Amino acid sequence: MKRSSLPLLTTIAVLVFFYFPLVLVTIESFNASKYGGPWTGFSLRWYKTLFTDAEVFRALKNTLIVGVVSTLVSMVLGTVAAFALHRFKGKLQAAHYGLIYLPLVVPDILMGISLLLFFVALKVELSLVTISIAHISFCISYVTMVVLGRLQDFDFSVMDAAQDLGADRLTAFRKILLPLLAPGILAGGLLAFTLSIDDFVITFFVSGPGSTTLPVYIYSMMKHGSPPVINALSVVLLAVTFVLVLYSQFLNHGGKENA
Amino acid sequence: MRKLIPIVIIAIIAIIVFSSGKSETQKILRIYNWADYVSDDVIKKFETEYHCQVVIDTFDSNEAMLAKLKAGATGYDIVVPTEYTVNVMIDDGMLIKLDPAKIPNLKNIDTDYAKLMRDGKMEYSVPYMVSVTGIGYNPEKVPDFTPSWSIFLNESYKGRMTLLNDMRETLGAALKSLNFSINTTNDAELEEAKNLVICYKKNIAKFDVDEAKRGLVTGEFFVVHGYNGDLQQIIEEAPNIKFAIPEEGTSMAIDCMVIPVGAKNVDLAHAFINFIHEPENCAATMEEVCYASPNTEAVKLLPEEFRQNEAVFPKKELIAKCELIEDLGDDNAKYTKAWDQIKSAE
Amino acid sequence: MPTMIPRRRREEWLLTLPTFFWLTLFFIIPTVIVLAIAFKPAAPHGGFGEGWTLRTLMELGNPNYPAIVFRTLWISAVATALCILIALPVGYCLARASRKWRQFLMLLVVIPFWTNFLIRIFAWKQVLHPEGILKKTLVALHLVAPDATLLYNAGAVMLVMVYTYLPFAILPIYAAAEKFDFSLLEAAQDLGSSRLGAFYRIFIPGIRRGLLTATLMVLIPALGAYVIPDIVGGPTSEMIGNKIAQRTFVDRNLPHASALTGLLLVTVLVVTGGLYVLVRMRKIPRALGRSLAATGTGNLTTTAENTAPVTPESIADLVAEEEKNKEENAEEDAT
Repeated sequence: MKRSSLPLLTTIAVLVFFYFPLVLVTIESFNASKYGGPWTGFSLRWYKTLFTDAEVFRALKNTLIVGVVSTLVSMVLGTVAAFALHRFKGKLQAAHYGLIYLPLVVPDILMGISLLLFFVALKVELSLVTISIAHISFCISYVTMVVLGRLQDFDFSVMDAAQDLGADRLTAFRKILLPLLAPGILAGGLLAFTLSIDDFVITFFVSGPGSTTLPVYIYSMMKHGSPPVINALSVVLLAVTFVLVLYSQFLNHGGKENA
Repeated sequence: MRKLIPIVIIAIIAIIVFSSGKSETQKILRIYNWADYVSDDVIKKFETEYHCQVVIDTFDSNEAMLAKLKAGATGYDIVVPTEYTVNVMIDDGMLIKLDPAKIPNLKNIDTDYAKLMRDGKMEYSVPYMVSVTGIGYNPEKVPDFTPSWSIFLNESYKGRMTLLNDMRETLGAALKSLNFSINTTNDAELEEAKNLVICYKKNIAKFDVDEAKRGLVTGEFFVVHGYNGDLQQIIEEAPNIKFAIPEEGTSMAIDCMVIPVGAKNVDLAHAFINFIHEPENCAATMEEVCYASPNTEAVKLLPEEFRQNEAVFPKKELIAKCELIEDLGDDNAKYTKAWDQIKSAE
Repeated sequence: MPTMIPRRRREEWLLTLPTFFWLTLFFIIPTVIVLAIAFKPAAPHGGFGEGWTLRTLMELGNPNYPAIVFRTLWISAVATALCILIALPVGYCLARASRKWRQFLMLLVVIPFWTNFLIRIFAWKQVLHPEGILKKTLVALHLVAPDATLLYNAGAVMLVMVYTYLPFAILPIYAAAEKFDFSLLEAAQDLGSSRLGAFYRIFIPGIRRGLLTATLMVLIPALGAYVIPDIVGGPTSEMIGNKIAQRTFVDRNLPHASALTGLLLVTVLVVTGGLYVLVRMRKIPRALGRSLAATGTGNLTTTAENTAPVTPESIADLVAEEEKNKEENAEEDAT
């Protein structure tokens, strides 16, 4: 039977739509003109400006610190929560689930402003600590959902079998459950890390002097900086994303062939 | 293989975090300032002389700056508000009293300007730069330009003009063109000004502070409402751009350096204020930011050509038509309300 | 064993308390504080005064606010509708592609989603620049007038929203389409249905859950959008998010910011709840599934599974399903 070519054409159009702005940014990053706009010649000076900008590296460092801290904490909290949700049913878990589900449907800006007012009310100084707290709060839900998805595919009789064979609960947990769940927990952590390093809105609300993260810095560059430097930064970030994704694909295939 | 990627990522992160962690032992002077409002060379000189690191965060309106400080952004050592906001901050107990003994260069400040300020004795604030707002334009695209706020009513430039995203400045422009005071609290006058800005709004692309001036160079905008020095900085890069002060008059602002309560390096902040008002440093800053500082000794060091630049040092008769924006206390709410209605008007 | 019950109970609390504590402290209490501040009077220089008042809530009735709420709703609705319309054929195409192609195409769809959000918006500012290549091309093709502006209007906001949120719509639709039994479509056509008719009456109901997830994944961030209208929007495309930010960061009117936040929350909950009710009320897909089963041409299990009534549990599944999608992407990176 003949299939419509419309879906394929739409997909191609969507991919063009997705990549056209990114290609343009890449080209513009080599434009010598200081304020962007008409092409005035090829230049690498914006990359030089970017790599000599100490602020970028400071912001990157802050981003990574917050990313690592919030990933680790939300991985632990989220995994524990997923266990509770999976093992127990009842009113408490229904409430627990609701609590974890809510941050997923609430717009970023609400979380940002409520945390800001909360910290102000408690007279907490805005810093990397407040940013990390905010990030952990929204990452927990994502990690929990991912790990929960894994647990649903998991056969708990293995645990019972191990205990029947004489292993105590802790050993069974450590030796059997954790290794089997590790990919799920890692996937949750990776998602949390991505969300954390990309977050702008919530961070913007709860960041204070000297705790500028990379997205917040990019935003201020968009307002005050010169466009070609942002373009150069975009190209660098794009390149990092591409390399990571392709590398993981490569590993993925390699792994399958070995298996 | 599966476990490799996280390890690689963590290793990269660790390298970045630790390799850039060396400079943290130095003292850090945190400044909260308008964008493009310092000379990088002067800042570098200060960093070397005082073995410290200067970190600058920027804001684009006094209101935004005040809100951020009130919302818990403590820890800045220097803030650069406009005079009318300085008074709010003094009244709210947000500022530290300055120690004049640590700022001997106060003697260089022109007392004529200091007299205009409520804090004329400079107990809490030291004037930094004086600015006026005006219009930057591209004469190729706007051949019939006349220095008047009425340009914003001209439909031929629809979608290619911008107004400042600052309620006092933009309502002030409308008030001036109606021949009212920039500090009016009269409801009828404010209402008229509000309706005028709503008419302006139909023709503008955006209310904006910092991005718009760059749009003048790239051809995105033809007419931009902005601060004289900001636009002059653009003109240095793109000489085809011109600046004019509307003949109906405009607002004038004295931006001051203050030390907020909660500053971590009060001594270093005093040293910075004094350093900036060292005549040669102040002259270098003026030449870079294209604003006039009320520092008489520094003005003497400026090249003749720069002193003649009317965009930086406006003519006396124009200055006479300018007004300083004042804090209106509870009547500020009237401006907020008018500004809201402007923003939500279709 | 009677001792098992308290132990189980203790274990449950031990596992539940950490997240319960954290989210109550840093999510529920702050949200309650925000909603409470809406009932406080505003102090002239920021912050809020003593006592309680209903004034702020009453002020939400002034004509400025409903206009902004209405604008927020229609911009978000149009952006969501466009995302779904575009994501449907793309999800379909991905699900029908061969394994190798599917993996490659998924990768291409996901990469923009992994790029920094602000950078994607900034890129569009340059694409839509009045002296930019797109404008020049459009003018050359006589599609727009030479003095038309592409930026700083509601259209630009919607376009950039579609750009940033489209992957969120494609992924759940693709996930649902992947499980869909395409022989149903062929069966329907054999029974005389047109190609488009079969697509509309069988494929769409069959991936209903995916569609619902996709709609929510786009609609919720769109309703709360702040950065996109701030950067590519103009004086007449301000949304609730911008107003909240203005009240917080410029006017220092925290009660107003809080009241607006409450309004946004209510809007999101009403829209989300409304969508669920709407989906639940549609009995047609189930009836269709039954009739197909009766004719013996359809695979009943697939259809029944995809058209189960929406209950709180299935809502939970929706999220889990969505998280699985994300997880799959995450895994692609992890493995």
